[in-house]
Amino acid sequence: MADTMLLKKRAFAAEQQTGPVRTEEAVGSEAIAAQKPKKKWTAKKIASRVCLYFWMAVLAVLFLFPVWWMVVNSMKSNTELIAQLSSMKTFLPGAITEWFTSYGNLFTSEALSGAIGRAILNSVIYCAITVAGVLLVNSLAAYALSRIKFPGAGVITTIVLLLILVPVETSIVPQIVILTRLGLTQPATRMIGYLIPGLVSPFYIFMFRSYFVGIPKEIEEAAEIDGAGKFRTFFVMIIPLSKAIFATVAIFTFMGAWNDYVFAQYIFSSNVDLMPLQVFLQQVNNAQPKDTAMVMAALTISTIPIAIVYIFCQRYIVEGVSFSGLK
Amino acid sequence: MEEIRTAENGVGSAEAQPRSPKSHNRHFRLFGKDYRLYDSLIGLGFIAPALVLGIIFVIAPMVVSLSYAFTDATMQTLDSVHWNNFYNFGKAFTDPKMWNALGNTCLFVVVAVPLQLAIALGLALLLNKDVKGNTFFRWAYFCPVMLSLAVTSFLWMNLLNEQEGLFNGLLSAMGLPKQGFLNDPEQAMMLIVLVSVWQGAGYQMLIFLSGLKNIEPALYEAASLDGANKFQQFLHITLPAILPTMSFVLVTMLIGAFRLITQPMIMTPSGLPNAAGKEVTTTMSWYIYQQGLNYYDVGFSSAIALIYTVFLATIALGLRKAMDVKD
Repeated sequence: MADTMLLKKRAFAAEQQTGPVRTEEAVGSEAIAAQKPKKKWTAKKIASRVCLYFWMAVLAVLFLFPVWWMVVNSMKSNTELIAQLSSMKTFLPGAITEWFTSYGNLFTSEALSGAIGRAILNSVIYCAITVAGVLLVNSLAAYALSRIKFPGAGVITTIVLLLILVPVETSIVPQIVILTRLGLTQPATRMIGYLIPGLVSPFYIFMFRSYFVGIPKEIEEAAEIDGAGKFRTFFVMIIPLSKAIFATVAIFTFMGAWNDYVFAQYIFSSNVDLMPLQVFLQQVNNAQPKDTAMVMAALTISTIPIAIVYIFCQRYIVEGVSFSGLK
Repeated sequence: MEEIRTAENGVGSAEAQPRSPKSHNRHFRLFGKDYRLYDSLIGLGFIAPALVLGIIFVIAPMVVSLSYAFTDATMQTLDSVHWNNFYNFGKAFTDPKMWNALGNTCLFVVVAVPLQLAIALGLALLLNKDVKGNTFFRWAYFCPVMLSLAVTSFLWMNLLNEQEGLFNGLLSAMGLPKQGFLNDPEQAMMLIVLVSVWQGAGYQMLIFLSGLKNIEPALYEAASLDGANKFQQFLHITLPAILPTMSFVLVTMLIGAFRLITQPMIMTPSGLPNAAGKEVTTTMSWYIYQQGLNYYDVGFSSAIALIYTVFLATIALGLRKAMDVKD
């Protein structure tokens, strides 16, 4: 019987994989179709191509130059940055010996008393806790709603859907009121107060639920026949089959947690030690004497993790984007 | 074990099956529905964390902001709150600062949303052509999306800095007068619009691009055989095909734009009062934040938030209706 269970699990996994495979084929056939009718390069066509490239390049410059300037000027000393501001050199990196000067300053500057390392660590810790918590809390809830029959399931599902559909002005003020009443804005409890309100999300419950509904019931039945309880079925069978949705939710949660500003800024405004990186940027920006190159280094550092996620997890991001488009 | 399977398979025949010998999984009826005790307990256990957190941090804040709007609650006196009926609403409707904030927000929305929508669609149309180097251009336009709102704000704050900013550096190199930029009440709001559009357009571009990829190329071939020019093709094939995508993008963008807070909060911390003393960059979300968290007037803040929620819900519902009619 364990065999049937395994077989079904494999069959489902294989079924899932046909999705991307099929699209690859489609892309291939498109490429062939594009090659077939050999284009005749008339003067008019060449002119329109050149025109197209020109506009695409102009737009690319407009979108890229501030980011380029940020990265390039983080690799200079501040004196160099100021001196080159009015020349085209401002768009070129500095001398190679100066590339890491500003990054070094960020960690040794007296104005910041070396707290940037702490801020980076805080951000990493907050993100790790948030991602783990969000995955666990919302996937368990979604599994119960989609697969287990218990009193109240129908009502809760309706409420979850309503919360997604109705745009409520979710101001930060009532959140702070609740946290204050629970005593979670005190210096000692602030970190908990910052982390737990973000753990539950009706939208993620909905996302997990739509995915779990698509998993064939026979898989769980097979597991149950083998004597596995609901808890084991969930962790041993369901989670490995749902890697894609777990990855998508993890990525979106990570980006949200890493980029969070307004809430963190309010909660930790008087605790430099607990500030995540995004909030700490304010300290770097306000540090006297003003060091623009050092600010650019801090901005670059806080962008790197997000850039890495976008570059390496494109597939899941596109999935998430198209999912939110279905709503 | 046989029984478990029958129970899972045949919901209708649940009564016909023999009683479970396992006492911990016996049946019980609630509101005319049949449940099993063990499953119900597991289901409730799975959903408990999400349920508790959801009630405290999703539902309770809604209740708080709804009920506190009719009270004299302040952040320091949350334990002794008194009803003051419609006092806060009277105060809100006669508060010139609230109307000013609402006006600023509407100005931002009216300029930024159509601009960003047009740019995102334009970029998607450019990228949808079969051009070499497409991937590079897509990444180029998407690049600013990788910056968080805080990083974007700090970056542009430095680029637009009056003394040591890139733009004034370039202007003075060209012999032009330096500009006040974010210190100039005449320019600040439009700069916030441009920065926001620059940061966000790439994301909607991706959504549009996936919508455009779904259009059958055969439609265009047929149309060009019928003698339709490019503009007619756009009007009669492309536009109707991406209308659902467009309405989704429009609604999410509008709601996002009405919640603008991070960029003005970082780039113009003072709200930038003009010569007449009116703050030109204070938005509604920021004003609600200020009243509740800086002036501790939770009652008044909740009242404005409630007014704003009704305002936003009216717009969102009206828009959905208008677009349903179109379809």
